[in-house]
Amino acid sequence: MFLQQLINGLTVGSVYALIAIGYTMVYGILEFINFAHGEIYMLGAYLGIIAIGLLTAMGLGNSSAFLLLAFAFIFAMVFCAFYGVTIERLAYRPLRRAPRLAPLLSALGVSIFLQNFVMVTQGTRNKVFPQLFAQNGFDLGNAKITYIQIMILVTSILLMVGLTLFVNKTKMGKAMRATSQDQKMAYLVGIDVNRVISVTFLIGSALGAAAGVMVALYYGLVNFHIGYTAGLKAFTAAVLGGIGNIPGAMLGGIILGLVESLGAGYLSSEYKDAYAFIILVLLLIFRPQGILGERLKERS
Amino acid sequence: MKKSLIILCAFLIGGLISNCQQKKENLTKIGVCAPLTGDQAKMGNDILNGVKLAVEEWNTKGGILGQRIEIATGDDRHDPKEAISVAHKMVNEGVIGVIGHFNSSCSIPASFVYHDASIPQISPASTNPQLTSQGFKNVFRTCGRDDQQGSIGAEFVINELRKKRIAVLHDKTTYGQGLADEFKKNIGKSNRASIVAYEGIVQGSGDYKAVLTKLKSRRPEVVYFGGVYPEGGLLVKQMRELGMKAIFVSGDGVIDPEFLRIAGDAALGTFLSFGPSVKEIPHARHFIESYEEKYGEIGPYSVYAYDAANILLSSIQSAGSTDGEKISEAIHNIRHEGALGTIQFNANGDVLVAPYIFWVVKKIKTEDGKEKLNFVPYT
Repeated sequence: MFLQQLINGLTVGSVYALIAIGYTMVYGILEFINFAHGEIYMLGAYLGIIAIGLLTAMGLGNSSAFLLLAFAFIFAMVFCAFYGVTIERLAYRPLRRAPRLAPLLSALGVSIFLQNFVMVTQGTRNKVFPQLFAQNGFDLGNAKITYIQIMILVTSILLMVGLTLFVNKTKMGKAMRATSQDQKMAYLVGIDVNRVISVTFLIGSALGAAAGVMVALYYGLVNFHIGYTAGLKAFTAAVLGGIGNIPGAMLGGIILGLVESLGAGYLSSEYKDAYAFIILVLLLIFRPQGILGERLKERS
Repeated sequence: MKKSLIILCAFLIGGLISNCQQKKENLTKIGVCAPLTGDQAKMGNDILNGVKLAVEEWNTKGGILGQRIEIATGDDRHDPKEAISVAHKMVNEGVIGVIGHFNSSCSIPASFVYHDASIPQISPASTNPQLTSQGFKNVFRTCGRDDQQGSIGAEFVINELRKKRIAVLHDKTTYGQGLADEFKKNIGKSNRASIVAYEGIVQGSGDYKAVLTKLKSRRPEVVYFGGVYPEGGLLVKQMRELGMKAIFVSGDGVIDPEFLRIAGDAALGTFLSFGPSVKEIPHARHFIESYEEKYGEIGPYSVYAYDAANILLSSIQSAGSTDGEKISEAIHNIRHEGALGTIQFNANGDVLVAPYIFWVVKKIKTEDGKEKLNFVPYT
C-alpha cells in the first residue's frame, strides 16, 4: 500500500509542481501573486478537450493516441501561453507602478472573469475527456502504475528539466534571473524588462496548460471551477518550496502531493484538503521563507 | 464614454420599472429551486423541465383559479448558504408553493424559511430523513427516504449479492453521509457481513486514489458509496485503475447518464438503488411522450418534479385559495394519480409507498448495432 500511495502522491505532486512553477516565476520577477494562474490551468484542460474534438471532427480521431495527445498538449500550451501574455499586457502591465494591492485585485478580477467566461461559453456541465489510453498499466508487486501515470511523471520531469536548462543556460534565462534580482539594474544594463516579463508569463502559462491537459486525461473530468482548488494548492506548494524559487516550487509540489496521498491513506481522507494547509501553517511559523527560499533582504 | 454610461443607467432604471410593473400582473407564481448552474446543473434543469411541462399543461387548460401560472426559478448551486438566500428570494417574490430543492443539504435549511412564511415545499429529490422529521406541516417530498434506501441497499448486498466484506464511502454531504450511515447501520444489524472500512471523501477534489488504495488493502468485496454521480463515476473508474474488483453499489444520486460517460466501461456491473423505471409505469406514458418531445432525454428526477408540480397545483385548485396553510392541508389530503402512480402523503409529508428497486449497468445494443452502456432494472 505504501508504494501505491507513493505513486499516487508523485503523480498528483508533479502536477502541482508544474502549476506552482507559474506562480513562483511571476512572483520571482514581479513580486505579486498571479491569482489568475489557476484559471490558466483550467483553460488548458478545456483546450486539450477542444484539440481532441477538433481532430476527431477532421476525421483524424482514430490516429494513434500519442499523436492526438501531442497535438492536445501543443494546442493547449500555445493557446494558454497566448492567454498568459495577453492577461499580463491588459491587466498587470498598466498597474506595474501602482500600489502592490492593485495588481493583486486585478488578478482576482481576471480569475473571476475567466471562470465565468468558460462557464458561459462551455456550459456548466462536466466535460468528459475522451479516453485515449487503456486503463491498465504495470504491476509493481502489490501496487499498480497506469500508463497515464507514467506519461504524467515523464512529461512533468521533461518539462521541469527543460525549464531548468532554459533558466540556467540560455541568454533569456540569464536575463530572467537578472530581472528577478533587480529590475531597475537589469533595465540599466540593457535588458528588455517588458520582454522578460512577457516570456515569464508565456512559460508559466504553457506549463500550467500542460498540467491542465494531464489532469483532464488522468481524471477524465473537467469543469469550469477546477482552477480554484488546484490554484490554491499550487500556490501552497510554491510557498512551501520558497516562493520565487523554481526548484523550490517543484519540490513543494511533490511534497504536497505526497503529504496529501499519505495523509489520506494512513490518517483520514476526510481531511485530505486540510493536510496541505496544515503543512503550510507549520512552515510559515517555523520557516517562513520556505524550504529552499532565502530570507528576503530588507528593501528600502 | 459618458454617453454610454448614461445609456447604461437608463437601461438599468428602465429594467427596474418594468420589473415593478410585472409584479402587478394577475399571476400565480410557483417556485422551482435547484442547482441550475454548477456541476449538478443537469439535475436541476431536469427538475425545472419537469415542472415546466406540468405548468404548461395547466396553462393550456386555463391556468389556476382563473390566473396564469408562472415559474420563478432559484439557483441554489447546491450550496446550503445559497439555498437560504434563494428561499428568501422566493418568499419575497410571493410564490405560492415551491418545488425543490434537489440536495438534502439545501432543502433542509431552506425548509425553515418556507415554514416561517408557511409556503408549501415539495422536494422531488431530497431523500434525507431529517427533511420531513422536523414537524413542519408544509414540507413534502415525492421521492423516497434514505433510511428506506439504505436498508434496502444493505439487504441487497447481504441477500442478493451475498458478500461479506463491505467498505463504505460517502461525500460528507447531508445526503451522501446520511445514506451511507443508514446503509452501515443496517449492515451492522446483520451478522452475515461486516464493515471493513468507512471513509469520507472531498467533493470535487477529483483524485480519490489515496483513499481507494487504503480501501484496497482491506480487500472489500463491495464498495458502497453515498454521494452523487461526478464522484461516483471517478471513484469506480479509479477503483478499476488500481485493480480493485469489488462490486460498486450506490444510491439514487449516482443514477445519471453522466455517470456512465465519466466512468466508461469501468461502470459495468455497478448496482444502484432507485425508483422503478418510468417506462414501466402505465400512468407515465403521456408524461414520457410530451417530455421527450419538448426536452429530449428524461432525467432521473424529471418525473418526480412533474408529479410534485401537479400535486401542488391540484392542491391549490382544491383548496380554492392561495393561502399556504390551506394548500398544505390539501396536499396532506390528496390522492394523486400521477406519472409515478398513486401518491398519498403520511402525516410527516413522506409518500406512503416508496418503492425502491436495483438497477445494474449493462451494455445494450442500440438501434445502429453499436454497444452502449445503460442502466437496466435488475431482476
